This record gives sequence, C-alpha cells and structure tokens, in this order.
Amino acid sequence: MKRRKKQRTPITVPTASMGDIAFLLTIFFMVCSNFAKENGILFTPPKAMDVATVADSSLSVAMDVDGVIYLNGQAFSGADELESSLEATLKDKTGDDRNVLFKCDEMIEKRAFSPVLDAIVKAGGVVIAIGEKKPVK
Amino acid sequence: MGLDRRKKKRETEVPTDSLSDVAFLLIIFFILTTSIQRLAGFKTELPSGEKTQAKTQQTEKTPTVALNGGAITLDDKGITMDELRERLAGLKLETKSNNERVILLDAEGSINYQQYFEVMACISSVGGVIGILTEEEGK
Repeated sequence: MKRRKKQRTPITVPTASMGDIAFLLTIFFMVCSNFAKENGILFTPPKAMDVATVADSSLSVAMDVDGVIYLNGQAFSGADELESSLEATLKDKTGDDRNVLFKCDEMIEKRAFSPVLDAIVKAGGVVIAIGEKKPVK
Repeated sequence: MGLDRRKKKRETEVPTDSLSDVAFLLIIFFILTTSIQRLAGFKTELPSGEKTQAKTQQTEKTPTVALNGGAITLDDKGITMDELRERLAGLKLETKSNNERVILLDAEGSINYQQYFEVMACISSVGGVIGILTEEEGK
C-alpha cells in the first residue's frame, strides 16, 4: 500500500494588520499625551505635608529661580502684564476652568511672589498651589 | 506588421513592510516622553484682596498666623507647624461660614515660598480661607 504524503502547509504569522494596530496605539498616545508646558523653566517646588492630588488645568503660572513669571511657558515682564493677559483668558471661563496652577521656586521671597498671587486672584482665577509631598519623619 | 505584443501590466504595490516598524518606533517615542505624573498641591481660597474687606474682617477676632524669620506665631504666640495644624483643626473651620473661616496670614517680605507654602497648605487642609496681610505702601 502506498502511503499518501501529507501536504505541508506553510506556517506564516499574519502581520498585515500589525501596522494598523501600531498606528491605533500611536494615535492613542498622541491624544493622551500632555506635553509639558514648562520645559526649561528651572524651579524647585516647595514641600509640605498637607498636599493632596489635584486635577490638572490648562492654565499654569510659574516663577523660576530668577523670579521670572511665566504663563503657560510664555515669559512676562511683571505681575500687571500677567493680570491683564489672564483676565482676557479667563473672561469666558467658569467653574474649574478658572483654576490656575501656581508653580513657584521654593526660595522666591514673598515680596516677589505675592503680587503674582494677587494678579491671579484679581484676574478671576482660583489659585492651585503646586508642590510636593513632604515625607513624614 | 502584425505586432501583437501585449503590454505587460506591471503590478503596482505600495511597500508597507516597514510601516509597522515606523509605527512601533513612534509608540516607543510616546511611551518614553509621556509623563504620568500626578500633580500634588492644594486649592487655595484667597479673598480678592479688597482693602475694605480685609479691614472688616480684622475687626473681628480672626486668628492670625505670622511668619517672622523662621518662627511661626499664632495670635502672637510662638508655635510649631504640628501645633499649628492641631490648633487650626480644633477650630473646626469646615463647619463655619465663609467669613468665619478666614485665617490671616502675615509674613515679612523676605519670607521664602517654602515656608509660606507649608503654612498655606496647613490652613487650606483644615478648610480655612487665607487672608493675606500686605503692608501698605509708604508705611
């Protein structure tokens, strides 16, 4: 009796949809990524025990080690200029959209940061002070 | 001439072999650059800074936290940060109305943000509204 030879079927991994999957993942990351606005702004955040997780906001005011004021990464010459710019930005905003993240270097003196806090409040913003959790000793 | 040569149709194909490689490289880029960082901080309740408001609030018995150099005082009595937290928690500010929740914060111009931030965080955590005392010009 003659035995029939089994036909070998070539084994291939289907990779046709791999590119589609990869691009879907890329789109996911592109949509979810939140690019840092304060890249290049040097500041050491203050630390406190009484901090909690806060929601991110589209508005961020920062003060670097040299006391330069930034609104979403754009430098301002003073608190007055910041106030008028913030006022225009916050004009149509309500509720949590008025939250303004305030990031300031730990060594900045009150005489420098106080006018900035005032400017945010006068412009109609709600200050969310950003810092780090201080480890319990 | 009986040229019956048929034109050979060339099959056109877009090379997609390296497409997935490019896409995966992009994914790796996004994975590396995305920062899954949770912001830590606190929401402050700062009055609008109107002088009249500050003056009416000051007439009542409003707790005042002062920062002088490295020292913290609550109503002119020296206190540590832990004691301040306990004392302010004891006031049960969360149950009170907005005007009664005001804690005045008085600090020298030379106080750095680190010290100020700690005290502000402490006041905010117990439900206090921070009233910033500022020196008037010319005084």
